[in-house]
Amino acid sequence: MNNGFGQLKALIIKEFKEAFRDKRALMVAFSMSLLAPVMIMVMSKTMIKEIAETPAVYAEFKGAEFAPKLMKEFRDDNILPLSEAEGNIHRIWQERAITVTIPESYQQDMVDGHIINIMLSADYSDKPSLSPVRRIKDVVRSHARSIGYKRLMMRGIDVRLLRPLNIVEQDQSQPSSNAMMISIMLGLYLLMGAFMSGLSIAIDTSAGERERNVLEMLLCQPVSTLKIVLAKLSCSSSIAALSIVLMLTVTSLTMGFVDLTKIGATFSIDAGTFMALLGLLIPICIFAASLQLFFAFQAKSFKEAQSTVTMLIMLPAFIPLALTFIDDRPQWLDWVPVAGQSIIMEDLFKGLAINWPAFIVTSIVTLLMSAVLVAILAKKLKSEKVVMALS
Amino acid sequence: MIKVENLHKTFGKDVKALDGLSFEAKDGEITGILGPNGAGKTTCLRTLYGLLKADEGRATIDGIDASQEPIKARAQLGIFPDKFGLYERLTAFEQIDYFASIQGMSGKAKKAAINEIITDLGMEELAHRKSQGFSQGQRMKVTLAQALVHKPKNFVLDEPTRGLDVMSTRILRDYLNRFKAQGHCILFSSHVMQEVAALCDRVVIVSNGRLAAQGTPAELCELAGESQLEEAFVKLIGSDEGVAA
Repeated sequence: MNNGFGQLKALIIKEFKEAFRDKRALMVAFSMSLLAPVMIMVMSKTMIKEIAETPAVYAEFKGAEFAPKLMKEFRDDNILPLSEAEGNIHRIWQERAITVTIPESYQQDMVDGHIINIMLSADYSDKPSLSPVRRIKDVVRSHARSIGYKRLMMRGIDVRLLRPLNIVEQDQSQPSSNAMMISIMLGLYLLMGAFMSGLSIAIDTSAGERERNVLEMLLCQPVSTLKIVLAKLSCSSSIAALSIVLMLTVTSLTMGFVDLTKIGATFSIDAGTFMALLGLLIPICIFAASLQLFFAFQAKSFKEAQSTVTMLIMLPAFIPLALTFIDDRPQWLDWVPVAGQSIIMEDLFKGLAINWPAFIVTSIVTLLMSAVLVAILAKKLKSEKVVMALS
Repeated sequence: MIKVENLHKTFGKDVKALDGLSFEAKDGEITGILGPNGAGKTTCLRTLYGLLKADEGRATIDGIDASQEPIKARAQLGIFPDKFGLYERLTAFEQIDYFASIQGMSGKAKKAAINEIITDLGMEELAHRKSQGFSQGQRMKVTLAQALVHKPKNFVLDEPTRGLDVMSTRILRDYLNRFKAQGHCILFSSHVMQEVAALCDRVVIVSNGRLAAQGTPAELCELAGESQLEEAFVKLIGSDEGVAA
């Protein structure tokens, strides 16, 4: 028994030594942990700017002189003529080519009570143009509504007649659910981090060792293949878990620099959330490492292993995305690896209570699936097919 | 003692790698295993390591069946495989320590055994260098050290002198002779006839998965009616394909 533990300890120590001396693999493992939070911070800041602030919008106004009041409303909303933009800003807005055309007959039509067509021309598929177009439409609508109300009031008609029904909305979502975008991104990054961080190490320790002719020597030793797989799994999944801890810590720190209250949102990773996320993601790290080892060991070469295992990254990227399209999710999705964790993370970020039974079941299912993969792999390493592939 | 009895092994439907091979490698002797490429030497050795299962027959190491109890059988073996690689990010010392721990050694005894083998093989200068960039001779020494650190009763070497310079080959030879003198069983596969003739007490010639002949180098020469082992080998396997190997 002691000897068995001594062997496992030696195998694990060797794996960690090799992993921590492989600077490139470590760089891959931890680069995502450091870059992802910075990206989330930058994206959040941009989002807040778009939602909460009204930055200057420049459009080309044709026939501005025919509608001075409308132009004043545009100006009040910081929507300005393109001629007022300078330098680089002028170039950017010129490329967006947002044009508002006011007809020559504007004033006469206004007097006659005719419908006036204000022409708005823009590239609606261009994402940066969407917010300016929305703001221009809002100004025109609100100006039109206010003129319409004044016309009715002058005729002695109560404007409330136009609103026979009124809808009173009660948004039951928690305040922090406004930060859903940030949460979805962070959830995706965490899952990707769990899958990607240990990837290089898993490939190096399996297909890499085979290519360097050290696997045969190891398989000839008086040690069970299960211990060999467990040692490699523990190293690869620990690196992934370490990367997740780093990612969560850096995210907590960087999000402190973003004032989410501007969009009525709160977002913080407190100790409880931190531990819950870690508890959710550690089984995923183990599952990812076992999947990667499983495929990498069966690849014929290091290169083949790289291609096959890289395809596995699709899993954490695809599943949460697919979930957003399923409105009525079947319950078994709560228990499936990756999907289960993704759903619980979504609730966690919304500020909802954790569904503990689902948390426990999905963790157990994930760990069980990892155990099955490890057992199959340990058996496969004893097979003649693997031995014959050594030479 | 290593004993191979009536080993049969077929890959796929009709590739017969071993066809009733039997031989014995005794304690206190160096037994050479000779054969042309594809004769079944590596398959036979892999069966000994417990990596392959024979269709028929058995291979035993000190009476332990390699296919029934592979882990127990491997514990009696020191293995120098056909293709040996090193963990490039580990130092020579760490590498030897790793294999010593896998062999069940620990504590002071392990450290003493590692230091002893490092001194014996004259590896003091290499010991704390990472093995990346080691020469073929230096690699051989590390592989030899990790295979012998636990002082196995039986030692199997698959073409160990391939790519080695004269000095490294002499170190290896000296070491094997010392092991032999201590009563260990050494099974040695090689293509270099002079080396086999100089080093081996007994030679087993394998051809087409079968035993073609066995005996001391002198007995084999006498059997073939030749004065050189190489000529005797060619005659005994019944072709000249081994010469080109």
